[in-house]
Amino acid sequence: MTQQMKRARESAGARCDRYAPLILGIGAILSTLGFILAFTLAAPVNGAAVDGTELIGDQMVSNQLLFSQKIFYFHMPVAITSFVAIGVAAFYGIRFLMTHRACYDMRGRVASEIALVFVIMVMCSGEMWERFEWGVWWTWEPRLTTYFILMLLVFGYFILRAAVDDPERRATYASVFSIVTFVDVPICFMITRLVPSGVHPTIFRSDSGLSPDMLIPLLLAMFGMFCIAFGVYRLRLRCAQLDVRLEALKERLDD
Amino acid sequence: MAIEIQTPSTWQQYRTLLGKDLRREFRTREMLTSMGMYALLVLVVYGAALSQTSHSFDILQMSGGLLWAVIIFTSLLGLNRSFAHEKENGCLDGLLLVPLDRSVIFLAKATSNFLFMIVVELITVPLFAFFFLSTSPADTWPLIITPLLIGTVGIAGIGTLLSTITVNTRGKDVLLAVLFIPLIFPLLYACVSATTVALVGGDVEAIYMNALLLAGGYDVVMLLLSWVLYDFVVSA
Repeated sequence: MTQQMKRARESAGARCDRYAPLILGIGAILSTLGFILAFTLAAPVNGAAVDGTELIGDQMVSNQLLFSQKIFYFHMPVAITSFVAIGVAAFYGIRFLMTHRACYDMRGRVASEIALVFVIMVMCSGEMWERFEWGVWWTWEPRLTTYFILMLLVFGYFILRAAVDDPERRATYASVFSIVTFVDVPICFMITRLVPSGVHPTIFRSDSGLSPDMLIPLLLAMFGMFCIAFGVYRLRLRCAQLDVRLEALKERLDD
Repeated sequence: MAIEIQTPSTWQQYRTLLGKDLRREFRTREMLTSMGMYALLVLVVYGAALSQTSHSFDILQMSGGLLWAVIIFTSLLGLNRSFAHEKENGCLDGLLLVPLDRSVIFLAKATSNFLFMIVVELITVPLFAFFFLSTSPADTWPLIITPLLIGTVGIAGIGTLLSTITVNTRGKDVLLAVLFIPLIFPLLYACVSATTVALVGGDVEAIYMNALLLAGGYDVVMLLLSWVLYDFVVSA
């Protein structure tokens, strides 16, 4: 027992756990800084062209500046982070199928939980953007649809887990499903290139048209979101590991 | 004298497994009757749903989508059944005892599901046209065969993997729908757009080929993935 504990403490995971709160804090600071800069540094974006001059918000303007575009500095980093989280879940799915060790299944589950949180955040911010920019609550636009499907797949992952009793079988099915889910990520990422609809811009390209004053807040927020996701992931994983140990101890106490 | 043990080739194993499914179907006619009846009933529901539209309303515009909705729901029913009766007499356990590559089971099962689906579609598509198409479709209508084939291949492949998963879970019928419909969605989207453009006409060349490429690519990725992952699923 002591040897096991020693080995566990010496593992790289323990070091990660020690830094997890710190990384979470750094992430919070960086993403907050990113959002503040998005309002102070980044110039407002021109919206839909106004025909001639019109009165908008007590001001005669010839083109409308989009204030709600600031959602973009939250929306895109969170979306990219959710993709990464689903990728991590799929990676641990593969690791589980290779080794059949329960710890990888736990990591996959925790990564999917993180993905679920971020996916819901993307849908919420996206919904606001839709309402205020496109003027509709919902539209079957390709990027929107594929992301919606991704959300349903992440929901399905947890429904599947809840429906299987045997732990070994549950882990296998969940791993397989998380790998299959990952197929939708590149589709969702590439869909604006494959089926251009004109509403979702293609961000990652060599001439993306993002000026440095927009790129800096965006990258700060993105890096911050990565740190937050990693920090939460490690803390949640530690929590799950302690749960398992508690269960094992309880069982031994019963004997 | 050495004893020669003849091990059956993979092709023979595949043919035996497929033959077993088909023979079972010829004797009971369980799958085809239930799927065919279900498809007909969905069409009846369409009849009620579309009965209040005006005469000038052209159903042709949405016929591709309606057709695929029948196919998706019918395939859900068939996929649910396809593994349920393997479970009944411990048939699946028997199959797993046979020293064969597990992916052969996948290929045989996917093929039988594909064949049943095709038979049901052969009945459903003319019935659909007979009931609902008041205006004649564009001259390019025979082109709907390709999206139907590609879509059915994908449905059979993904569906076989998922129904193997859900047969061992609680509430298997609902769970199959929950997992299957989101996973099939990109394929469905592409197939609907190809079918609609073939029926309605318009810029057939560009949209049709693009949609078929998308559907075909998704098929290839998903079938390969299901084929690789099937071993883990069926032995779990």
